[in-house]
Amino acid sequence: MKFAINTHDLWRLCVVIVIIAAISLIAHVQVAGAQDAPVTTVTDDQVNAIANKLYCPVCENITLDTCGTAACADWRYEIRLQLESGMTEEQIVEDFVRRFGDRVVGTPMDPLLRALSLGTPWLLVAVALGAVALVFRRRRTEPVAMPASPAPTTRYQDLLEQDIAG
Amino acid sequence: MLAEIGLVAGFLSFLAALYAVAASVYGERFARSEAWVISGRNAVYVTFVLITIATVALQVALMTEQYQIAYVWSVSSPDMPDLFRMTALWGSQAGSLLFWSFLISGFAAGATLANWNAYRRLMPYAIAYMMASVAFFIGLVVFIENPFTSWWILPDGEVVQTALMPAGAVAPSASRLAETANGLNPLLRHFGMAIHPPMLYLGFVGFVIPFAFAMAALASGDLSTNWIKVSRRWALAAWLFLSLGLLLGGRWAYDVLGWGGYWGWDPVENAAFLPWLVGTAYLHSVMIQEKRGMLKTWNMFLVIATFSAVIFATFATRSGLVDSVHSFARSGIGVPMFAFWFGLTFISAWLILWRRSRGELRDEHRFTSIFSREALFVLNNFVFVSLFIAIFWGSFGAPIISELFMNTNITLGADYFLQVTPPLFVLLYILMGVAPVSAWGIASLARMGTALLIPLALSAVSLALFIFSGVTNPVALFGYAIVLMSGWVAVVETVRGAIARRRAHQESILTALWALSTRNPRRYGGYLVHLGIAIIGLGVIGSTLYQVETQQTLAVGESMSIGDYDLRYDRLLSNQIADDGRVMDIAELTVLRNGAEIAHIRPRQDFFPEARDMNTMTIAGAHSTIENDLYVLLVNWDEISANRATFKVYINPLINLIWWGGLILIAGTLLAAYPRETLPVRVRQALRLAPQPA
Repeated sequence: MKFAINTHDLWRLCVVIVIIAAISLIAHVQVAGAQDAPVTTVTDDQVNAIANKLYCPVCENITLDTCGTAACADWRYEIRLQLESGMTEEQIVEDFVRRFGDRVVGTPMDPLLRALSLGTPWLLVAVALGAVALVFRRRRTEPVAMPASPAPTTRYQDLLEQDIAG
Repeated sequence: MLAEIGLVAGFLSFLAALYAVAASVYGERFARSEAWVISGRNAVYVTFVLITIATVALQVALMTEQYQIAYVWSVSSPDMPDLFRMTALWGSQAGSLLFWSFLISGFAAGATLANWNAYRRLMPYAIAYMMASVAFFIGLVVFIENPFTSWWILPDGEVVQTALMPAGAVAPSASRLAETANGLNPLLRHFGMAIHPPMLYLGFVGFVIPFAFAMAALASGDLSTNWIKVSRRWALAAWLFLSLGLLLGGRWAYDVLGWGGYWGWDPVENAAFLPWLVGTAYLHSVMIQEKRGMLKTWNMFLVIATFSAVIFATFATRSGLVDSVHSFARSGIGVPMFAFWFGLTFISAWLILWRRSRGELRDEHRFTSIFSREALFVLNNFVFVSLFIAIFWGSFGAPIISELFMNTNITLGADYFLQVTPPLFVLLYILMGVAPVSAWGIASLARMGTALLIPLALSAVSLALFIFSGVTNPVALFGYAIVLMSGWVAVVETVRGAIARRRAHQESILTALWALSTRNPRRYGGYLVHLGIAIIGLGVIGSTLYQVETQQTLAVGESMSIGDYDLRYDRLLSNQIADDGRVMDIAELTVLRNGAEIAHIRPRQDFFPEARDMNTMTIAGAHSTIENDLYVLLVNWDEISANRATFKVYINPLINLIWWGGLILIAGTLLAAYPRETLPVRVRQALRLAPQPA
């Protein structure tokens, strides 16, 4: 079978390739443009204000706004998208807690855990205060000890006293 | 050779430490033999010499690049500067435990040398407790985290890491080891890391001395104030080092971690803060026992709680109990450390209760007034302990309990700590202002009020200046008022003393101040420490409540504004190679204020190609004044053109007061610990009565 190609066919092929390339180029520019400079009304400060209230679900004890991992960069981008979609700060925090648990917030959102977390130290302090009060109350009825006998003296003092005694 | 020296010296030091414990207890308690007790004492020195040899062997191995030693291979690399080779000694678990053992052994040897003659009755027991702690840590080094294990290639080609050379094994080639060496964790390649860990370790291990003497008092029955006299300066030294360690840790975090702050309420930061809280409570409460013979049981409890908190902090940091950036190493030491901590705390508590049940820790006076200095010190202790409880709960209690019993993980972060701790800190600053003007025994509110008049007036004037400078937030004003009052009390009390002396001795005010400070260094050192803490308080309030931050992307030549500052992005220097191999991307910015150029700063990101974990560091560029810090981080940049870069910028008002206050605190502690041998009253009287030479 003989395969022949004429000048017209070549010309048509070139036109098709150029059109495809142009479409690809425009499409690429549009995608790249979207990646480099997203058209957004949400500022970095708005994103960070929320990210600062959330802890990295992967690392320990690092807030999302300061965490340098790629995962946290993605989560910050997600917060940006959520803000753009109209979600409030409260809704975004709730969404993160629903997905990753109470460990992503500085104090748990679950009412029981929150009450336990914030109330327990004060309860412990109150118990300690009660114990101190009880001890002092009992002490008032206890006899006081005689002042401790002169403590065994230091070598320096011994030497001095020996010198003075002659 | 160095590995073998280290192995042998380490093992022998472990045996010597155990021998010191056994000989001291046997000699004093059972054989009543001076020879045994002296032998135990000598074993303390031998332990120190041997562990020093082991430590020096590892240090030399690091400096001379002996990569066959696995520890050296894991924390250093050929391109590291000498400073970081030195600091690599504490750059990972095994080396830092060896360094810790060296320090605690040094403290034990120093305390034995300094106090052997003066406190002979306490020494055998004190040695037993000190050396039991030393033996425990050396045991961890020898048996669990040995820094002297080496790389070997077995006949079948497998590469193993063992302390002793396996049969038929050969050493890997030196060049191959050097090529693959890990290098130090980038976060630790900072000048602060040359100082911060040794200071923190010195603070931690230093508390073994007061603990050991308290336990010796309980065990020997010498419950006079001897144990307090002998341990006071050691406790002050440990407290000083711990304070320095905490301050330097904050400074390191501020410079290196790149988040604009100095204290993140991270569990391991908090773990180091916990012993400081109880240690500070002890340093106050011990004065009541010295002056009034009160709170004997409480002081024992505090000094033991301090060392127990030290061991707990070490356990939490090193076992990975609560994960954080600090938990750089996890290994098999968790269980033994927990057992040691639990055993030490249990035995100590039992000894206190036993002595107390025998009526040997009964107070000599009762509280007479709630405004007396001793009552206010008790309140101060209560607040310190409450802070301890709140911070312990937030850092460890709640996360552990929720995980164990509620099947959920929670993190209590800055939100929690900033809700719970401020009322306690406010109370602490109020007491810091009030207690110095109260009197021992009986005191009246009217008298205290009179003494507070001048400090209150000065605080009002200072507060007016803050309001004039634009501070209007009522919370900030309240905080400033309390902190200023506590600081002015320290200043006024010092000046009042100097004026009285000046009148009495016709001296200049500076001479009078110097004479007062040297005659009563504890009191005036204490005032200086209070002043330092007040200045730190001003810095904390300013930088916490008035911090401003923004993040913006700039093209080269563009500017952004924050507060009174304008910041112009000039250019980006990409891929700059430093001597140690790190690759730096440096942004250059010009800082302007009111249109005038005032500084050029260079925030940067460092990339460490050979590091396996955490290989990027964000180093801030900062323009510092007493008023504030302009702190700039390079967040991101256009890789190809370098035309656009994103910066995160903070203004941290008054933050530098924290570091300046820290320096004053250090000066005050040094003054308070200044050795001044006072003569007992009867000796002074005898000297006065003695005939004077013609």
